[in-house]
Amino acid sequence: MKKKTIAAFLLLVFISSDVWAFCGFYVSKADGTLTNKTSQVILVRDGDRTVITMSNDFKGDVTDFAMVVPVPTVLKKSDIKVVEADLFQRLNDYSKPRLVKYYDRNPCQQYYAKDQSVSMSEVVVTAMAPRSKKSIKEDEYKVTVEATYTVGEYDIVILSAEESGGLYKWLTANKYKIPKGAEEVLEPYIKSNMKFFVVKVNIEEQENLGFEQLRPIQIKFNSPKFMLPIRLGMANADGDQDMIVYAFTRNGRIESTNYRTVQMPTAKNIPLFVNTNFGSFYANAFQHQWMQQNQNSLFLEYAWDVSPSNYVKCDPCVSDPPNFEDLKNAGVWWLGKDAYNDYVNQYEPQKQNVFFTRLHVRYNRKAFAQDLVFQETPNKENYQARYIITHPATGDLNCEAGKKYLKELKERRKKEMDMLSSLTGKGYDDWDVVMNIEEDETIADVSYATLNKEIKTEAPKKKVGKDIFMASMALLSMITMVGVSRRRK
Amino acid sequence: MDVAPKPWDARYFQMTFQLLFLSYGILFLQWKAEWVEYSLYIGTGLLMQWTADSITSKKIISPFQWHSGGWKSALVSCFSLCLLLKTNQWYICILAAVLTVLSKYIFRFNGKHIFNPSAFGIVATILFTKEAWLSPAQWGSGAVLFFAVCCLGLIVVTKVQKLDITLAFLITFAGLLFTRQIIYLNWSFDFFIQSVSTGSLLLFSFFMISDPKTAPNHATARILWAVLIAAIAFYLSAFKWMNSTPIYILVFAAPLVPSLDWLMKAKRFEWNEKLFQPKHIQLKNS
Repeated sequence: MKKKTIAAFLLLVFISSDVWAFCGFYVSKADGTLTNKTSQVILVRDGDRTVITMSNDFKGDVTDFAMVVPVPTVLKKSDIKVVEADLFQRLNDYSKPRLVKYYDRNPCQQYYAKDQSVSMSEVVVTAMAPRSKKSIKEDEYKVTVEATYTVGEYDIVILSAEESGGLYKWLTANKYKIPKGAEEVLEPYIKSNMKFFVVKVNIEEQENLGFEQLRPIQIKFNSPKFMLPIRLGMANADGDQDMIVYAFTRNGRIESTNYRTVQMPTAKNIPLFVNTNFGSFYANAFQHQWMQQNQNSLFLEYAWDVSPSNYVKCDPCVSDPPNFEDLKNAGVWWLGKDAYNDYVNQYEPQKQNVFFTRLHVRYNRKAFAQDLVFQETPNKENYQARYIITHPATGDLNCEAGKKYLKELKERRKKEMDMLSSLTGKGYDDWDVVMNIEEDETIADVSYATLNKEIKTEAPKKKVGKDIFMASMALLSMITMVGVSRRRK
Repeated sequence: MDVAPKPWDARYFQMTFQLLFLSYGILFLQWKAEWVEYSLYIGTGLLMQWTADSITSKKIISPFQWHSGGWKSALVSCFSLCLLLKTNQWYICILAAVLTVLSKYIFRFNGKHIFNPSAFGIVATILFTKEAWLSPAQWGSGAVLFFAVCCLGLIVVTKVQKLDITLAFLITFAGLLFTRQIIYLNWSFDFFIQSVSTGSLLLFSFFMISDPKTAPNHATARILWAVLIAAIAFYLSAFKWMNSTPIYILVFAAPLVPSLDWLMKAKRFEWNEKLFQPKHIQLKNS
């Protein structure tokens, strides 16, 4: 194995501090050190009903765990559920960006082409958040405790408040550590008549149940508001936070109505050496695209019709698609009671429709002034973030067709390297290049290292895309048209 | 004939800006350029307009002599469809273009068509087929305010179209949003900026509600009309959480225009009027 040691790692650093994440904030009940990774949310929506499942990968001492989420209504006990944590793992495995491998056939020999897919390695991105401290002051809180429940290992309080100061004081008086700056964000929520869903761990129940890890909490409510309240989560966060949204709807993709929803570039041919480093490649590609979109867009990473009646739920599949049980657990309530995975109600098949959308949001306070608001569209187009590497042919290439092949391979690899830099903003030199020695030696002339030197000596090419051309033609013809018709008069 | 320069038809201005928006979206916002859909919208729209013009004038119009102004309106409407209406089906494109142009001939009252053609085409297609949608956030918020200032500036300088409806609508809508979001709910100022700097609002207020053919004839009625649409649209989006409300309200409230015209009488708008000439030309002519 040949190895170049300059690695391109971005933001894959774990920073520990007392942290909040996504919808609400995780508030520390003491000065413990808490950590959490990218937050994940399952969002199920049809009509006015929403089911939200919040993953809980809280890593600190459970006595320190607390979470506050603004919700539009007072939830009943039956609206709150605890679900198994591996549901998130399965959805993530099914929908994460994928690398597809192809093998070139040796044109001098007879071979069969193979293709296989590999899923990306876990990308761990963390949010960083500063600490805060505030002393408790007793006062009149003007806070109403609407309900208290114990569900699974959690103690839940639903609050409504008249003014943010009171709520803030109530929370601090009850030993919730509120991030600095949260108070001013509480006020708009209170005035919009939002309630507060406050969660902490019931240690006794947790011990009785025997779960070591905290399980995801699922809530459901009826409200026209189709949104995720991210603002509270970044009350004080200077850093970027990541959230993956897995959405299930009946008719088609969801998209944000107040921030742009952009597709990650897909079906791109990238260099072979990314093979060993796909997680890092995707992390860089995401970061680069996010920067290019002014940091204030949501990214589509996967969209597919996962209705029981649709047999092709991925192509290529990197893991099992969500089955009927998964959909039920995720909160897809409209699937028939007696339906099983391959069951289709032949009289009303549309009643069993489920469309899956995976969105990836990286947000910070500066770029996201508003909570994320969504809409369901009738767009049923399947989409996946898919990247392609191609293994070159091996063996003797000393024939007419073989020479032609090498020439084509050289051009293709140059394009792959261009693609890599346009996707990630990083070139060959930034990568930890690991190549199979056999593949590299048989084709030394077209190795990426050689091509890299060649590319550097070439003058940078100016790219004129087809779309740019068409658009300028349209503009030109418009101007001509105006000119002609003015003359005619 | 007078040798004074011909007045600048507002529709050229609209088309230029619409194309500019489309190019901006494709070049800078990475919109997937749906050339097939664009051609279907424009092709079908023009064909329908030509057919309708031929039928109404009771002869087959040669495309070279067809400058009655019909194609300009059709083109402006079709560009609006390209910019706003999303669908994955080719037949929806055709249906939308047909509905857009036909609405001018079917829904008429007192010699004036009732609905803004593209608004009607969009709303009818979405409601009837459920296979098309609007993407209110497709513009992002980056360059929108810049475009808004450009539009406003150019209109003021060239006097290419009247601004009364646009301003009345924008001021009412933004004012209500400001009152609710900043004064009442106490959100930060960038929250409000995010709400108003959307391309959909810009397109709507400069190129849709301002359509002089479907707005009330009387100036006061026009202002009332714009304020009414802004107020209802604000109410539905702020309290009922509906999306793209202005365009729906414009269509549903359109049947009120004839009664406003009846209450407040004024001369009907025609394209290419003196009204739209630069001021010095008006003086010269008068």
